[in-house]
Amino acid sequence: MAYSELIKNFEKIRAYMREFYVYGFKSREDYDGKSLRSYDDERRRMESWLGKHMRFVRTPEGKSMFISIDSRTSNHNPLYNALKAKSFTDGDITLHFALFDVLHDDSIALTLPQIMEAIDTEYLSHFDSPMLFDESTLRKKLKEYVAEGIVVCKKVGKRMVYSRAPDVACSNLADALDFYSEVAPCGVVGSFLHDKQGSHSEAFVFKHHYITSAIDSQVLCMLLVAMQSKSIVSVQNLSRKDNEPRRARIVPLRVLVSVQNGRQYLVGYEPDFNSIRSFRIDYLSNVKVEEPWPTFDQLRQRLDEMQQHMWGVGCHHNLSKSQRLEHVEFVIRVEEGEDYIVRRLYREKRIGRVEQIDKSTYKFVADVYESSELMPWIRSFVCRLVQLNFSNRTLENRLKRDVKKMYAMYGVEGGEDNDI
Amino acid sequence: MIFSELYSAYYNTVARLVEQILQGNATNDVVHKTICDNAFEESVVSILHAIREERWQVITKDYRTPLKHVPTMPLTTLQRRWLKSILGDKRIRLFDVHVDGLDDVEPLFCDDYRIYDSCSDGDNYDDPEYVARFRLILHALYNKLPLKAEMVNRNGKPVFVVFVPQRIEYSAKDDKFRVITSGPRYAATLNVGRITRCRLYNGSLNTSVATHQPRRVVVKLLVKDERNALERTMLHFAHFEKQVERVNEDTYRLAIWYDSEDQSEMVVRVLSFGPLVEVVEPTEFRQQIVQRLKKQLSCGLK
Repeated sequence: MAYSELIKNFEKIRAYMREFYVYGFKSREDYDGKSLRSYDDERRRMESWLGKHMRFVRTPEGKSMFISIDSRTSNHNPLYNALKAKSFTDGDITLHFALFDVLHDDSIALTLPQIMEAIDTEYLSHFDSPMLFDESTLRKKLKEYVAEGIVVCKKVGKRMVYSRAPDVACSNLADALDFYSEVAPCGVVGSFLHDKQGSHSEAFVFKHHYITSAIDSQVLCMLLVAMQSKSIVSVQNLSRKDNEPRRARIVPLRVLVSVQNGRQYLVGYEPDFNSIRSFRIDYLSNVKVEEPWPTFDQLRQRLDEMQQHMWGVGCHHNLSKSQRLEHVEFVIRVEEGEDYIVRRLYREKRIGRVEQIDKSTYKFVADVYESSELMPWIRSFVCRLVQLNFSNRTLENRLKRDVKKMYAMYGVEGGEDNDI
Repeated sequence: MIFSELYSAYYNTVARLVEQILQGNATNDVVHKTICDNAFEESVVSILHAIREERWQVITKDYRTPLKHVPTMPLTTLQRRWLKSILGDKRIRLFDVHVDGLDDVEPLFCDDYRIYDSCSDGDNYDDPEYVARFRLILHALYNKLPLKAEMVNRNGKPVFVVFVPQRIEYSAKDDKFRVITSGPRYAATLNVGRITRCRLYNGSLNTSVATHQPRRVVVKLLVKDERNALERTMLHFAHFEKQVERVNEDTYRLAIWYDSEDQSEMVVRVLSFGPLVEVVEPTEFRQQIVQRLKKQLSCGLK
């Protein structure tokens, strides 16, 4: 099949984009399991969509392609382009523009044969070899557009008539779209709206801006739709352990997002295991919304309670068993003039409490599902850690070993003997 | 749903081309530019090919069209639901948005989506004075007008600054807006939340105006791929321009370019990875880690 920059299925390119953007050190030969032709086609597509953001480096192992974007300097997420590259047939685009020209005003309501007649005589006849559409093709297109909400149909007497959906009156939307297309869930939808607005001068830039989630928009959107209708979904979940996708049935309860690494997680209930746990959304695909789940509200309430003890997304909890929490405490030393460190404790803690022990020491205390999730935060206080007290001793010892390893790594004298 | 030709760059491009034709502007150059502005790098070839072959019976090969109206499409249900959701967000009041026609629309998300690790001292979007100051800054930015603002400095004392807003920067991690400014004396980035009063400045800016010029620096790290450190590191630093190469089976060299003003933050972020990430250069950055470790030695952690 001839190469085209447009694609029918997003899943294949989604995997490549993640590899190119998140990692970007693999050479062509490293993409085992995929044909070289497929690799070349996908790489070429990304070059076309992303332009200057596609880079390469030559190493002894070969040429490695990668996507490099300083998201602080971009007004708009360039990865959205991939979601604007859906393929279509010649008939699709012809019918689309002719149909909305016939139904150019929402007061116009026509039957299918009337639309057919107008398209044939007023549009296709202008071409040397006019396309031929039968009624079933147009009916199918109209049905599709009714489902998308851009065409409405109603019965007048015995006849079904079609008209364009009434428009939404919007004003002063440009700045809000610039902003929310970058920060809101499924921001690409804002980008679609932005495309309709035309260009204008831009005010916003973004710091700590993770753009990778753009490529998971389709999955996220389906999960949000399912949650709004309180329904269960069936979904493919790629297991990191065996690298094979497995089909799972999950009642989606909430999407949790990190603004410190850009990961998005679904927290959901698995009826087969009677447990609530989290799933990485970038590992999910092929979401199908199924029937409403009768206990959705109770499960959501259960999750609200659980979130009082979730530092991040770790929460694996079998509802048949009692909840097991781990205790975490650490004490830091704060010197005079370092009030900003105390403020950091308060502003960065997500759950738990901070206690002032004396003039220069503060304690953080929490009971959590997964104490390992606090490790990166605690390590960021290295230079002032005075005391650790975890109910999970293995983890506490690992943290102490980590500090010790850092002494050795950076050649800090005395670290082996004097501390920890 | 999201991945649909209805939102595609090609459909948008064709709509713009028809608009140019109906306005009588469709020269070869205009057609070429319209495609380049609205579609992808390689699209010129494929779109022109389709037009010349009259495969899409919307535009003839000599750039005419049977369409009588500039193409428009109503908002899809997905777009309406997304709009309805953002109208429920507290930050929407920063923008003077008016939308009618969504009364019967279900939002796409409400409490179904939460950020779990942003800082708790974000800007106060409920404060009408904050909203008024934000809108004034936005107005001044678009109209290139100078502002005089009163702020509280680190010592809690009021200070006055005169500046012209250049950009407004938002950090989801801090949940704060900052205004990137140019000014008669210096260029700075100011927290909008720390501005207590703000008005248009009537005086003249007769001295040369400094503009904000971020200084990009690089830090080079060695990442040991244990405990999934490679993926965690790459995701954590994903928003920077970066380059990674494999050194051996489980070690990777990572270069990250960042704004020099953010070095303290970068030190903390690197520290959070513990011994799985080592700073190789620059020496000054490495020294900051060493200093912190030396200080840790004196903490008596047992």
